[in-house]
Amino acid sequence: MDREQLNEDNATDIYKSLSELKGSALKIAQMLSMDKNIMPKSYVDKFTQSQYNAPPLSGPLIVKTFTKNFGKTPEQIFDTFNLKSSNAASIGQVHQATLNGKKLAVKIQYPGVGDSISSDLKLVKPFAFRLLGMSERELNIYIKEVEERLLEETDYELEVRRSIQFSEDCQNLDHVVFPKYYPELSGKRIITMDWLDGLHLKEFLKTNPSQELRNKIGQALWDFYNFQQHELRAVHADPHPGNFMITPNEDLGVIDFGCIKEMPNDFYYPFFSLISTDVINDKAKTIDAFRKLDMIHAEDTEEQVEFYYKSYREMISLFAKPYINKIFDFSKPEFFDQLYAYGEKISKMPEFKQARGVKHFIYVNRTNFGLYQILHELNATVNTDTYEPTLNR
Amino acid sequence: MATAQQIRTAYIDYVLSNNEKPKSVYSFAKKLKITEADFYQFYSSFESIEKTIWFELTFETISKIKEQEVWLQYTSREKMLSFFYSYLENLKNDRSFVIYSLRNYQGKVATPSIWSGVKPIFENFAQEVIDEGLDTGELAERKFLTKRYKNALWVQFAFIVNFWINDDSDGFEKSDEAIEKGINVTFDLFQHSPIDNLIDYGKFLSRNGKFKEKMGF
Repeated sequence: MDREQLNEDNATDIYKSLSELKGSALKIAQMLSMDKNIMPKSYVDKFTQSQYNAPPLSGPLIVKTFTKNFGKTPEQIFDTFNLKSSNAASIGQVHQATLNGKKLAVKIQYPGVGDSISSDLKLVKPFAFRLLGMSERELNIYIKEVEERLLEETDYELEVRRSIQFSEDCQNLDHVVFPKYYPELSGKRIITMDWLDGLHLKEFLKTNPSQELRNKIGQALWDFYNFQQHELRAVHADPHPGNFMITPNEDLGVIDFGCIKEMPNDFYYPFFSLISTDVINDKAKTIDAFRKLDMIHAEDTEEQVEFYYKSYREMISLFAKPYINKIFDFSKPEFFDQLYAYGEKISKMPEFKQARGVKHFIYVNRTNFGLYQILHELNATVNTDTYEPTLNR
Repeated sequence: MATAQQIRTAYIDYVLSNNEKPKSVYSFAKKLKITEADFYQFYSSFESIEKTIWFELTFETISKIKEQEVWLQYTSREKMLSFFYSYLENLKNDRSFVIYSLRNYQGKVATPSIWSGVKPIFENFAQEVIDEGLDTGELAERKFLTKRYKNALWVQFAFIVNFWINDDSDGFEKSDEAIEKGINVTFDLFQHSPIDNLIDYGKFLSRNGKFKEKMGF
């Protein structure tokens, strides 16, 4: 049995046990699956499967959830309500309904999700130690960051407020559309929004879209993310393909604002100064930025400083590649091969068996590498200078 | 002249205020300003009041869920789930009494005596739901075992209600999980499964004696 086969078997086992759990373990699986740069390929493939299936809630439980929230059954609230869910949304499921001739999507959360997050994380921890080769103490700040985001995701009232806020803030972006949200038909466990017709990314790709259309959708994605990162300093941090639709008007529909990562200044400035300025060409300034980001520690020896300087410089240069020229072709496999190779390389280095980097990296990396990955699947070429890092405010 | 309803309300008020039964029917009747005879006209004992309350809570739930529009579209599994969700919702209005009553009468037997009225109507209802499932093929017909399906559901009944009285989660969410998981597992067992095929195969082998001899069994 070779290593790939072993990885494959492990991944199948882990996938099996995770897919039997609902809620946060599934969410974590989804998250890890986004970090393709640190995961061996077979883990990734199995985890990607988990983005698409979870056992459904029973009809009576849905009715109960409605009566708890509104004192009325779905039949009493909507003109029609389909008790069979149309798809799973990792911590909930989506139902189709109509009201006054409008097609609606109603998202319902699984019960006990918030409660089980901490215990699920405990369950995932040993697996994460093994995978990332970190000690529990070091991993804890990251686990806490994940736990915070996950708990936010279970707060549907917060999600509705944010969805409305973000769709207003982003309304001037070209070819990006959002469903309308209905706070009066939403609650702690339920979100009602307009039903967006369209195709998910995978289905869209099967229709053999023209290069022009691929670029258009890719550009919309790029603009959506970079507008948020650099103008709003808070970003939709869940770039998995299931959260996007390509509408019949050939626009990008965004359907999930459960996970938002806010970027504080003490992270934003050092990090993006590395990417959008010539700081990276100045060794002293670069090391200074790495120190601010906790990638180089105060107690590091000279040798260590040199080592981490080199390794992280390589990572940042890879990350910054799309920003260097005004236009970037994401279809090229070379860029992604470099990313994977870098991930493989550092995963084998004992120097990286300890935690480095501020906690914000988890979601910022996940967001940006996730975005790159989707753009790669789209084979899109995009203008990368539409919304650039802004360091002068 | 007191009514059954008044006696009942006064009784609930008494036990919840004092956390115990009245000392005697005599003292209770005196407090209510009725005669003992008035009391016995409706109830034979304090326990029978509690039995009646439990019976009515259960009876109401069953009638209410059957009136829902979706009832006829539900599978057997969903009907049973619907019962439990509605039941706990119904019990919620009398949660203090339910807790008092169960904690006081619990003890030696799995089925407390105050449930003696509940058990027959629940099992009757369960049998109805099971029979429908057997008719549609949703559930598997098994010799000897089919008759016991309703007992398995009664075990779930006792488990879920006891789980709920000890549940301190937000909005009793954990009880919802207990229902969803417990009833689904139970109905998974009622459905056709590989075990049925295995048993069937075993029977086939044992019936074919020639084969057995040949193999030297």
